[in-house]
Amino acid sequence: MHIIVCIKQVPDTANVKINPETNTLMRDGVESIINPFDEYALEEALRLKDKHGAKVSVITMGPPQASVILREALARGADEGILLTDRAFAGADTLATSYTIALAVKKINPHPDLVFFGKQAIDGDTGQVGPGVAECLGIALLGNIKTLEVENGRFRAESAHENGSDILEGDLPCVMTVLKEASSPRFARLRGWMDAKHAPLQKWSAQDVEADPEKLGLKGSATKVVRIFSPPIRGCELKCVWSTDKEVALKSVMGTLVKKGILE
Amino acid sequence: MSEKKHIETDILCVGAGVASLSTALSLLRTLKKQNVEKLPRVTIIEKGRNVGSHVLSGAVIDPSGFDGILTPEEIQKIPIEAKVKKEAFHMLSESASLPIPWMPRMMHAEGFPVGSLTKLVIYLADLCEKEGAEVYTGFAAAELLEDSKGRVIGVKTGPKGVGRDSKKKSNYLEGEEVYAKTVVLGEGASGFLTKRLLAQKDMFGMRRQSYALGIKEIVEVSPNPERVGEIMHTFGYPSDSQTYGGGFVYQTAPNQVMVGYVYALDYTSPTANPHKLFRRFKAHPIIEPYLRGGKIVAYGAKVIPEGGFFAVPEVYNDGVLIVGDGAGLVDSLRIKGVHIAMMSGRAAGETLANCWIKNDFSKGALQQYDVKLKETPGWQQLKRVKNVRASFSKGIMTGVMSAGFAWATYGAFPFWQVDIKRDFQGMKTLQETASDDWQMPITPLSPDRLTDVFMSGTKHEENQPCHLKILDTKRCIEECIPKYGAPCLLFCPARVYALEDDHIHVDFSNCLHCKTCQIKDPLQNIEWTLPQGGDGPRYTRM
Repeated sequence: MHIIVCIKQVPDTANVKINPETNTLMRDGVESIINPFDEYALEEALRLKDKHGAKVSVITMGPPQASVILREALARGADEGILLTDRAFAGADTLATSYTIALAVKKINPHPDLVFFGKQAIDGDTGQVGPGVAECLGIALLGNIKTLEVENGRFRAESAHENGSDILEGDLPCVMTVLKEASSPRFARLRGWMDAKHAPLQKWSAQDVEADPEKLGLKGSATKVVRIFSPPIRGCELKCVWSTDKEVALKSVMGTLVKKGILE
Repeated sequence: MSEKKHIETDILCVGAGVASLSTALSLLRTLKKQNVEKLPRVTIIEKGRNVGSHVLSGAVIDPSGFDGILTPEEIQKIPIEAKVKKEAFHMLSESASLPIPWMPRMMHAEGFPVGSLTKLVIYLADLCEKEGAEVYTGFAAAELLEDSKGRVIGVKTGPKGVGRDSKKKSNYLEGEEVYAKTVVLGEGASGFLTKRLLAQKDMFGMRRQSYALGIKEIVEVSPNPERVGEIMHTFGYPSDSQTYGGGFVYQTAPNQVMVGYVYALDYTSPTANPHKLFRRFKAHPIIEPYLRGGKIVAYGAKVIPEGGFFAVPEVYNDGVLIVGDGAGLVDSLRIKGVHIAMMSGRAAGETLANCWIKNDFSKGALQQYDVKLKETPGWQQLKRVKNVRASFSKGIMTGVMSAGFAWATYGAFPFWQVDIKRDFQGMKTLQETASDDWQMPITPLSPDRLTDVFMSGTKHEENQPCHLKILDTKRCIEECIPKYGAPCLLFCPARVYALEDDHIHVDFSNCLHCKTCQIKDPLQNIEWTLPQGGDGPRYTRM
């Protein structure tokens, strides 16, 4: 089995701040991490590798320093890491990114068994690249995976949606986006880090994946970011009701809400 | 992948601080200078999430420590914000300040780099990796491994993925054993393994270590370019006359001020609250103008070993060396240790280089570290002020006089060893203490502890065993609260301890790894142990 995991380096948004004047991210001193949702995708791949034996390839697209997250993936147990890096990729929206990553997937293996994504990245929050790659590859997509079993080229997966979840069975190959309910990501061992530290990584440019320059980066993007802004903080009033009697406290809260016209 | 169960390296440094990194750098460079072909594998492990996550200092750095470790070009490039161009010492009273017109030359810091120690260690770690050393972060060294003869042969890292109930979670990762020819402990003040090693092998110095708690904030202010490089040190207010305490304000960049307060942990009042003293210090009329209109962007706290000369333990044993703060190598008059940490690193690195060449890592060969350390200028400074810290515990005036005599006589006076209590001893009971009713409203520049803690970036996996162990919870209620009123509620700069109905609640995820609790708890009922590797503060510019 050959599994390809696509991961992204993102700023640790738990600590990110937005410059109120320019509305841009203040990246100074903000750590870059593996997109947390991608950790579940990687874990799913490594779990299948542990169980059935598989080759796990990890791709990321980004500036050269994004190679750190590939090493982290290797440290946890992935077999190879590929960094897609080229100035021509810069400014890509989800369409151009999907195109580029699909080319890289094809180059790694024209017939992968599984391609995993996290359900979305915590910086852009679009959740479109996984489905986009599935479309470019012409492989079936299964989104929001909660549980997954693979046996003899077939899968059985629980896929969540607004009203609950479906249990689906089918033949591989498949592109899947993984939810955090799927697992707890493993920790990298010290030994894993040692092996990963100097492990060779492949660096691919636009030429290496034989991309059409018209479909890359800003040029190949169908959407443009016109403006980024942080929404104004909605004013709210905080009132604490202290009472050891639940009923009294509830009544007081309800009374306030009715008085303000929030409840009738 | 190797088939062996354990990992093998040649030199293992615990903690990626100044002392460890200097050891690694000095070792590899010494060997390269001598054209040694086969270099040792040097591995550095660090419990913080990143290099520098857990280091904290003022930091005005005495640059003499860089000599012999860094090249002149590298010294030029150290990522330090400014150089000291104007310095002042003030003795503070509640509303006034008295500039000290004359200070002995050794106290001066003009021209010294001032800035972030975190940034300096990131720079040093980078140089280490370029020389071939390997730095791994997020791994805590939880156990010293010994052979049957008691020789230290490595460490075991702490496990990960253990639940609050001490059961293994699905992602449980067992600790890994790392074997080395020598383990270099550079854990910093009151280090987890260092503490155990000293006790187990009875390596204590003539005196047990004394500590001070340092609390620091970084404040972004409106640009003030002409003040860059101005530093001020104070003593006196708000510390009482019996406790060694002082503050500092450094303008390190046009829009950045570092402000801190250091308070000796041998204070006797059970109601003392170092964070509150820090707030009082910031409100002093001479300090407040530096901060006015600013915004706090970072916070941290750490203990400083200031017992000096007499408190330095044996710095080597079979298979192990102790460098830097872990060995108490701080000039306790200037409260400066970065340069001595580097000198100790250099002494350790050169010793290990000789050991490597001769392939002799025996205890006898490691003794050379002790010899080399004691030849460094840093050690001479320690010796010169050997009794100053203890004299301060007899009152500020005794301390000042003692400092003067010590300086004038190169440490010959006082020639006797001034006696000193352990930090946790001598705490008065509540009945013996006048209440401290100083009040000040919470403001953005004088926040409460929890607001400050947020600025430290500290984070701990919540679902893990509490790493701050109260050994006997009954004693909290039956002894500590009636007698002292639970000083842990006040001395912790991260407000980890809170009183809830009938027990002390421990909010371990706020912990800044400063170790104050295990040092100051009058009943010695708190033990600081290691949380999961990678947890703790995330200093980026301390």
